[in-house]
Amino acid sequence: MKNIILKNIENPNSHRIEEYIKAGGYFALEHAVNEMTPRDIIDDIKKSGLRGRGGAGFSTGMKWQFASLDPKFPKYIVCNADEGEPGTFKDRVILEKNPHQLIEGMVITAYALQSVRGYIYLRAEYPHVEKILNDAIQEAYAKGFLGNDIMSRHFRFNLSVHRGAGAYICGEETALINSLEGRRGDPRVKPPFPVNSGAWSKPTIVNNVETYANIPYIVETSPKAYSFLGTRDAPGTKLFCVSGAVKNPGVFELQLGTPLREIIYDHCGGIRNGRALKGIIPGGLSTSILTPDMIDCPMDFANLARHGSMLGSGAVIVLDDTMCIVKIYERAMRFFEHESCGKCTPCREGTGWMRTILRRIEDGMADMEDLATLEDVAHNVAGKTFCPLGEGAAQVLLSAMKRYRGEFEYHVKYKKCEVTDPSLRWGHMSMDELD
Amino acid sequence: METSTSQSTADALDKGGILKNKIKVLKKMYPHTRSVLLPALHAAQQLYGWLSEDAIEQVSRLTGVTTADVKGVVTFYSLFKTKPLGRHVIYLCTNVACLIMGADTLEEYLGKTYGISHGETSADGRFSLVIMECIGACDKAPAMLVNDDCHFNISMDNIQQIMESYR
Amino acid sequence: MVKLTINGQEAETGRDSTILDAANGIGIKIPTLCHIKGLEPYGGCRMCLIEIEGVARLQTACTTKVNNGMVVFTETEEINKARKAMLEFLLINHPLDCPVCDKAGECLLQDQAARFGASEGRFAEGKRTHPENINDSIIVRNMERCILCTRCTRMCGEAQGAYAISVTGRGQHSFVEPFSHDKYNCEYCGNCLTVCPVGAIMSRLHRHNYRPWYVEKEIETVCGFCGVGCTTFIQMRAATIIRTLPKLGTGVNKGLLCVRGRFGYDYVESEGRLKTPMIRVNGVLEPVSWEKALAYITKTLKDIKTKHTPKAIGAIASGMCSNEDNYMLQKLMRFVIGSNNIDSTARLAYAPAKTYIERIFGAGATANVIADIEKSDGIFTAGGDPTAINPVLGVQIRSAWRHGAKVVVSGQPGGLGNFINYDLNSVPQHEETVLNTLVIGLAEMKGYSGKNPFLERKIKALRLPCEPELRATGVLLENMEEAIDDLSGLKRPVVVIGPSLLHAGIPSKNLFLVAAIAYLIDAKIYLLSKKPNYRGLIDMGCVPDTIPGGLPVRPGQLKLKKGVTMTVPAEKGMGLFEMIDGALDGSLKALYVLGENPVFNLPDRDKTEKALSALDLLVVQDIFMTETTRHAHVVLPAAAWSEKDGTMTNLGGRIQFLRKGSAVSAGKSEWRVIADIARTLGMNETYADSKEVWEEITQVSVLHSASEYDEIKDGGLMWPYGSVQFQGGAEDFIVEGLEILPEIKEACAAAPCKLLLLPERSLFHSGSTTRKSKAILSVSPEPYLSINPVDAGKLGLSNDDTVRVKTAKGSSVVTLKIVRDCPEGAVILSNTFEKVSFNALTGYTVDPVLGCMVFTDNEASLEKL
Ligand SMILES: Cc1cc2nc3c(=O)[nH]c(=O)nc-3n(C[C@H](O)[C@H](O)[C@H](O)COP(=O)(O)O)c2cc1C
Ligand code: SF4
Ligand code: FES
Repeated sequence: MKNIILKNIENPNSHRIEEYIKAGGYFALEHAVNEMTPRDIIDDIKKSGLRGRGGAGFSTGMKWQFASLDPKFPKYIVCNADEGEPGTFKDRVILEKNPHQLIEGMVITAYALQSVRGYIYLRAEYPHVEKILNDAIQEAYAKGFLGNDIMSRHFRFNLSVHRGAGAYICGEETALINSLEGRRGDPRVKPPFPVNSGAWSKPTIVNNVETYANIPYIVETSPKAYSFLGTRDAPGTKLFCVSGAVKNPGVFELQLGTPLREIIYDHCGGIRNGRALKGIIPGGLSTSILTPDMIDCPMDFANLARHGSMLGSGAVIVLDDTMCIVKIYERAMRFFEHESCGKCTPCREGTGWMRTILRRIEDGMADMEDLATLEDVAHNVAGKTFCPLGEGAAQVLLSAMKRYRGEFEYHVKYKKCEVTDPSLRWGHMSMDELD
Repeated sequence: METSTSQSTADALDKGGILKNKIKVLKKMYPHTRSVLLPALHAAQQLYGWLSEDAIEQVSRLTGVTTADVKGVVTFYSLFKTKPLGRHVIYLCTNVACLIMGADTLEEYLGKTYGISHGETSADGRFSLVIMECIGACDKAPAMLVNDDCHFNISMDNIQQIMESYR
Repeated sequence: MVKLTINGQEAETGRDSTILDAANGIGIKIPTLCHIKGLEPYGGCRMCLIEIEGVARLQTACTTKVNNGMVVFTETEEINKARKAMLEFLLINHPLDCPVCDKAGECLLQDQAARFGASEGRFAEGKRTHPENINDSIIVRNMERCILCTRCTRMCGEAQGAYAISVTGRGQHSFVEPFSHDKYNCEYCGNCLTVCPVGAIMSRLHRHNYRPWYVEKEIETVCGFCGVGCTTFIQMRAATIIRTLPKLGTGVNKGLLCVRGRFGYDYVESEGRLKTPMIRVNGVLEPVSWEKALAYITKTLKDIKTKHTPKAIGAIASGMCSNEDNYMLQKLMRFVIGSNNIDSTARLAYAPAKTYIERIFGAGATANVIADIEKSDGIFTAGGDPTAINPVLGVQIRSAWRHGAKVVVSGQPGGLGNFINYDLNSVPQHEETVLNTLVIGLAEMKGYSGKNPFLERKIKALRLPCEPELRATGVLLENMEEAIDDLSGLKRPVVVIGPSLLHAGIPSKNLFLVAAIAYLIDAKIYLLSKKPNYRGLIDMGCVPDTIPGGLPVRPGQLKLKKGVTMTVPAEKGMGLFEMIDGALDGSLKALYVLGENPVFNLPDRDKTEKALSALDLLVVQDIFMTETTRHAHVVLPAAAWSEKDGTMTNLGGRIQFLRKGSAVSAGKSEWRVIADIARTLGMNETYADSKEVWEEITQVSVLHSASEYDEIKDGGLMWPYGSVQFQGGAEDFIVEGLEILPEIKEACAAAPCKLLLLPERSLFHSGSTTRKSKAILSVSPEPYLSINPVDAGKLGLSNDDTVRVKTAKGSSVVTLKIVRDCPEGAVILSNTFEKVSFNALTGYTVDPVLGCMVFTDNEASLEKL
């Protein structure tokens, strides 16, 4: 299958505008501006069935339509390049190798929504990407794809990069908007939704990098052609970024609905070092862990939901049998605790509490009552938080505790890890060996 | 009521008005001046290495956001530094994908070799260690940034060599 | 309207209501912690979780809008479990130090833990610790108790507009902090204290000596510090004020207070309170009985009256005292002694400004509802920082700005600095040019309506400033043009006029220019009033030229009640400055000073002192010994603000009720004492209480004849108090120097040519009372001289230098502070502290047109010590 998003990726200069144009880039923009009305574009995106690639999977066309129906102007176009979901590195590949496809997607969006201003909210952890993006934006200005008179059609759109400063929560769209406005990145009350009252209280579209990167293809081919890819419910391709205990980790552009087994065994060469598969986190750390028996699950929104998990950002973390679940979830909870914005009670207090109990279990200092408390605390967080961050923290722990109950209990009972052989731990040498 | 006792110190910091001019340019990017805060803080941090109280006061004055408000913003984000760090800053990712590939061993190594744990600076001021959540290099785990350079697939075999290249 | 069902009960509310509003509307209580009415919904604490039929997850009532047909449950098992869980979360890191927490008994967390059941203590980990911070003089911060509801920071930002505290850190390590770790550098409005539901932000003033159940009495009264007239509640135990506090949503202040109103009350109980009357014997004031003191006063007044005619007797009324007090003083002077010599320090600016504006626009032009400022879409202010002079009014300007109003400030922006878009802060003495430019620009944009021909004729006579004149203002032309643009498009504009406009340059011209702006954009006008009852005392006739109710003094009879009339003296009365001059030249022999400190509050201190010491009788009725009592022959202890009943009229013309709380001193209500004197001198009326005094006022004053006393008691009565005959028409008026503009002086490159000494408008201090408040002194203990960094640079001076500031009138040693806001070419000094004060270093002249006070001799030189 040909790549849509990672097209031209083998070309070492794929990030340069000349190369991008040579490979057919900016043709979609030209087509859109010259032959389509903003309405046509929104209709096409709706028809294509494209769903957001940032995690929630909301229909992109619907989102655009809501914003376009709001009478307020100006409207703002924001790209969510905060990519903070642990295990995720797909947007980075687009930003590094194919920035013009993102820019083209954003300009088409701007045309569809009659927006004149856009921002790429880039996570601070990608310092080198800022330069690549700024260079690409400059190139696009020079070629007249950005600016005050785009393609000599009196259509105006200006774009710049806004850097985050290290906060996972700023990937949540309303927190991102707060951060864009120069505030602390707490999420905002919804409704009003960003499409009606987002940045500076104006209608604002926030889409993921990968979502924008899909736009040129849909506009240049047809919604129908696009919906041939993937599944009915989830058309198109998806970037899957695989890490952990596989032979060839990396980013793979595959159709939505590709079975997990195919990803791990065909594309990634299977489990490393001949170890056994222990579990798969399918969509980033905030999605619930799958057990090896679920390996045939097709990777799309509905099927993962059926397995009690989510597609999330498509970040597949593969665990083998040398890896300790308690330790992994202690570390995961440390992440949620660290990244909790502190706005709402259950997430602020609950993540820390859960982490300390997990720590004690891991250290062999806990009893069965602690295990019960841990579960109860997680239940008290779940369903009661302000935003999905805290919710995710509780849900992933609950599912891990359910699916790997034995391992938790082993820790409590024997005050040590089931994965005992030190030479097996983490695939690397330990400090003791080093001395 | 902003009294301005350290007025002169904060002013003295921006010799030649570099920051002032930078912020003036940045302001043009946004419809409201308040929004310039994050880029302004990045600029100040780049200029001074970290965000001292004087630097915050200065940014406050140049952006019209009160000092307390700026402080609230600065302390929300993990990558704004409110204390000076060492010559080289190691941003080591220890999140799950890196952890399972051995990041904890690296953390232990750095602790033993340079006497630093998260947020600390080695006695000679050479290295500071910042433990990171995912830095988006999970396929090449464990990964870290030293200053702005990326290092991937770090193991006990190559970490020493990497560290040696930063003096 | 939207219909929904809550717990089986029907509810009907507005489309924009939340479920919480709807539930409240039908008496269903949903527990909340972070929610606060008037601030944006927050949804952080998660206490208000409720169930909506058909919605999978629990939702927060405080943020969820109602929908038609919604079915809501607020008390299910699941909800109660969730609430209990939230409380458990809040308590795991809470220190549970309730026995030593001053919030105990009125702590929302405590109350709700009691209601939903305390948790079982399953938290086995160490609690987060964060030491209590008691390094600020007023505000104690205990962040271990904080539940991060952010009511305080939202109040500080959204309501007060100060943004002086913020949540710092993230997640579990979030703490509310001011910029500096220890002291707050804020306005000390204390509004964060009002809203903290737990003991995290507390007042140090009653630290560890207060519990809510100590409160024996709580009264609703009006604040006695400035002309806004905020509603405030005094809580007392025995005769002691435990604290004063506002109530959210009540009064013109809607539950905000400023530093003075909230923390300044302790002056009432300061040690210096006068306890007994005193008479000067051989140069020393000695305690005497009331009888003796009053006998002495009446006898001396009688003697002077016979020897020198009533004209030799005068009185100074008080902006701090009630309408009844001032009315009675006026009655004593005018109707009993027979002299029109009565005035007050409102003469410095407020009274002449009011007279002038009302002459142009008609009576009532300055009577406007203060709450309308917040609803305005554009505000022009000139003549002083409203956030310092009348803080809560200033807060309304900020609030309007946050809601999108345009704010244009001429002069130093002060506390409005972050709430304007461009700078019209002109070089001192050139403000007139800026105003002139604005008027001409607005006239061009808006055209003439023909409504006020007098005013329009004068606007047309204005001259457009030339290029160099404009440059001399130091304000960019483009800023003025933007301001003109902004102002000309307003729909509900407001103009706020401060006192400084009358103290420099040509006052009539300045005031005319601002009036012209108000006219051209059709704005509501507000006159800032430093003292709480300036407007009231003018209405009570405490001015030489009008009788109670505002009618001009015309010799003749005034009906007091059926069959009783009073004679209005024919002889023209002396105003404040004339009385000072009169005392000096011997034409005034006796002066009755009610609650005022002219020695301190007038420039040219030497002159005032000489004048007062030349009198045969100086009676001072006050709560403290002051610079003026030093010259008094008789001193009478007065009742402080919290010790008497009466009415006060705020700067917008709202009459509000002052209620008696504690009585600390032997001071009697001033009107009683004055009435006693008046009776000895021939007055017949007796009064059982202040209500009877008010009833007499309604007989005498046409303005108040239709006012309802009960309405005043129940929350205030707005001008024109039920009467309609006061709308009045416009009259012609005089403006000096219509065509002239301030002279351009050569700029000096090296050193400032000259520095003008200007008075500070302090947020913290309002004269004699605040310097007796320990709390206020703890945040603003010392005078200092402000200077612009540029001037400081030219003079080689730096922050905290000790300098000698010298004028033609004298010199003082003071600490220097470099303040960016201070205009170039000026130094600013407060007039609060005895050892160094502005008025001791300046002189004044009286403006021939307005009769207000204009500073002179205020060119200053600085010398570093
Ligand atoms: C805690 C949290 C973190 C998120 N982080 C990201 C992120 O890093 N990148 C992203 O694109 N979306 C992220 N999202 C999802 C966004 O809120 C939003 O749904 C998305 O940007 C919409 O774009 P899409 O419709 O194109 O997916 C996050 C959501 C939550 C709740
Ligand atoms: S769940 Fe609550 S505390 Fe956690 S990140 Fe979201 S709003 Fe912040
Ligand atoms: S009151 Fe609704 S969440 Fe706090």
